[in-house]
Amino acid sequence: MITTSSKLFYGLGTLSFVGAFVWVIAHDGSSLGSVALIFLAISLMFLGGIASYVRDGHVLSTDTAAHASAPAAQGSAGNSWWPLASAFSLGVVVVGLISSPGIFKIGIALSIAMFGEWMISNWSDRASANAAYNEKVRGWVVHPLEIPVGGALLIAVIVLSFSRIMLSVASESGPIIFAIVGTLILIGGSLVSVRRGVSKRLVGGICAVAIVALTGVGLAAALSGERQELTDASKYDHYAVHPCGEEAEEYDASASRGVSAKSSIAATVILKDGKLYAEMDGFPEPLTAITLQRSYNLTILFRNESAGEHRMILNYGSVVEDLGGGVKRDSKLQACTALIGEGGQQAVQVRIPKPSYANPLSPYNIVVSGIEDSSIEVSVP
Amino acid sequence: MSTVGSMKERVSEPMKNLRRRRTAVKASLAVSALTFLASCAKDAPQDTWQPAGPNAERIDNLQRPVFYVAGVVGVIVFVAVGWVIWRYRDRGQAIPEQTHGKPVVEIVLTVIPVLILLGVAIPTAGTIFKLAKTSDTEMTINVTGQQWWWEYDYPAVGSNAEQYGITAPIVTSGQLVIPENTKVLLRVTSRDVIHSYWIPKLNGKKDSVPGRVHLLRLEGAKPGIYAGQCTEFCGLSHSYMRMEAVVLSRADYDAWIANQLEAYTSPEAGTLAAEGEGVFIQQCSRCHQVNGLLNTDGTPIISAPDQYLVSGAAPNLTNLMTRNTFAGASWDLLTPECRGDVWKSDSATFGAKYLKGVTTDCLNQKDLREWLRNAPLKKPMYANPENLAPTGGKYRGMPALGLTEDQINVIVAYLLERK
Repeated sequence: MITTSSKLFYGLGTLSFVGAFVWVIAHDGSSLGSVALIFLAISLMFLGGIASYVRDGHVLSTDTAAHASAPAAQGSAGNSWWPLASAFSLGVVVVGLISSPGIFKIGIALSIAMFGEWMISNWSDRASANAAYNEKVRGWVVHPLEIPVGGALLIAVIVLSFSRIMLSVASESGPIIFAIVGTLILIGGSLVSVRRGVSKRLVGGICAVAIVALTGVGLAAALSGERQELTDASKYDHYAVHPCGEEAEEYDASASRGVSAKSSIAATVILKDGKLYAEMDGFPEPLTAITLQRSYNLTILFRNESAGEHRMILNYGSVVEDLGGGVKRDSKLQACTALIGEGGQQAVQVRIPKPSYANPLSPYNIVVSGIEDSSIEVSVP
Repeated sequence: MSTVGSMKERVSEPMKNLRRRRTAVKASLAVSALTFLASCAKDAPQDTWQPAGPNAERIDNLQRPVFYVAGVVGVIVFVAVGWVIWRYRDRGQAIPEQTHGKPVVEIVLTVIPVLILLGVAIPTAGTIFKLAKTSDTEMTINVTGQQWWWEYDYPAVGSNAEQYGITAPIVTSGQLVIPENTKVLLRVTSRDVIHSYWIPKLNGKKDSVPGRVHLLRLEGAKPGIYAGQCTEFCGLSHSYMRMEAVVLSRADYDAWIANQLEAYTSPEAGTLAAEGEGVFIQQCSRCHQVNGLLNTDGTPIISAPDQYLVSGAAPNLTNLMTRNTFAGASWDLLTPECRGDVWKSDSATFGAKYLKGVTTDCLNQKDLREWLRNAPLKKPMYANPENLAPTGGKYRGMPALGLTEDQINVIVAYLLERK
């Protein structure tokens, strides 16, 4: 009744039933996971039943002729590390159950992969009496999945490792390090390519060492964390329009998150020696009046080259708010940076909906807190 | 007999194949000839082979020799391939001895293209750097693309104000007006999607990307109108998003600036134009700005395209009739005769004709009225008021306003005075 091929299914089905009970107990009666496990158990039992009914892989002991040729009766395929890998993945699931959902999910994914591979290997080992054919048929089934998934995982590991290293090293030395590493890879690859008869094992070995080294360094970089300036910058939402309140905030010296914003600045406003001036692409001389487009997402960078902490304030008119009951309030439209210390810079992003002549009583300008006699006139046509 | 019959079949099959091949060769030669001849257009306004400014000339000086070299190489390759195909076609002969690895030939065939490419790369790099130079800019104009028109604003700062008398910002659309022999720097950007600014006779293309400012130099060597086209697919009416660069002599340019800066004058009371002003305020000023229009309480009428349009902007119509195209430079404001008179005039007389603007006799009533009657019918736009959910209730482009013919008449009369 319980044939060779059905054993796996019945075993897994039983395990799933047990798991369903454990789930209910462990999750205070929550049934969602147990429902899934019960259905899994039913499916596996059904598959086991099918395998039993068709006697797939089952060879009667009295059928000596079949013994000789039946794939299931052939010698064992040899040692396999899938059982060990599967056990490891189960361990990850258990660790995840008691530590974090993320590890649990990784464990589940690993388990599916490892048990799946084990199942396919077992099946293909006994698909025929010809080992070469078995290997080929295994490839047909799993290579369309293994190769893309494996490739994607490898790429993900490489990219993640690179990114952790880049976030960890200083921004000045990062490009130098990667230029050197890239050059070494190019030189090494060129040397390997011009040599005749380089064995696949050597090339594979070099690549394996490189991947392991990269992954190791990436892991170490991830554990040590991002460099301090990035950690500081990420604490503050630097590129939102700040409410122009009273509180002082940290400034970002060189937040990398704003690279794309800083790469295209409508105007740079500089406070130097107590004087305010602006720089814009296309105007070589410093400006005390600038023109900005209307209804356009502008980034204006403020740079403090004076002593003390200062904040840039862009005034761009006012808006009448209807507070209800016939009460209206005229509110200023402003965009402000945080307080910036000497040598610091910060950008604001703003969209100005109305032209500057719409509010003759509320001129558009840029001022800096604490600097009374210097401002930049803003014109929005 | 069957042998003769089968011989006939064996003889006629190759003949049929030969005839088919010959027909195919003739057909492809005919198509190629037609395609080649079709490229020989007379008066092509966007012809990159007719540079009209130093930047376009630099590009032309580079592209011509490269084109000739590439052409010669191309002809050699095609002839060689064709000869080899014909000479060594399968005639049932035995497959010749296969050889592998002729290092001298391979090296020669690698070195020659490398040398050719180096010969192309060095002047290319030099040209790129020259085109990117902005340190000697004499005038700066902001160019903003949005679906599906171009806005130009002339900042009243720096050399614009000191040397060209732009004492207040000027906003126009469709036609960029620049003085001749002036190194003009365009600061190109976009309010919505990516567009690309290209006036072929004056310079190469420059993408206008939202959130970024890209710099492009234009310099016109002589007065005239130079046509251009948006060259980055930007939606439904990408092909209707055109522009022109108008190059004026310095004297004419000063006159143009002065005209643009003139204060608004209301139409004479009791005229059609005065009536049109009222309709314009009711219907059009929600999106279109005319500088100087006042409310009854004397406050300026400020359009609010940010409330109605995805891009947040609509063309400023303050001096509409000083330019001679509209709706993203897709249609002429001038009748064909008047257009020909302006566009084809020589450099000496062009300025005066352009500055005359659009007169009543020369107004292209047909296209303008069709536009006012139902703009989305003329230029595909997402302007169906029943289908604005995807854009949060805002239009992309001008909707059909449901104007009556009387309203259109008075609006046209009003717009004719906008110069």
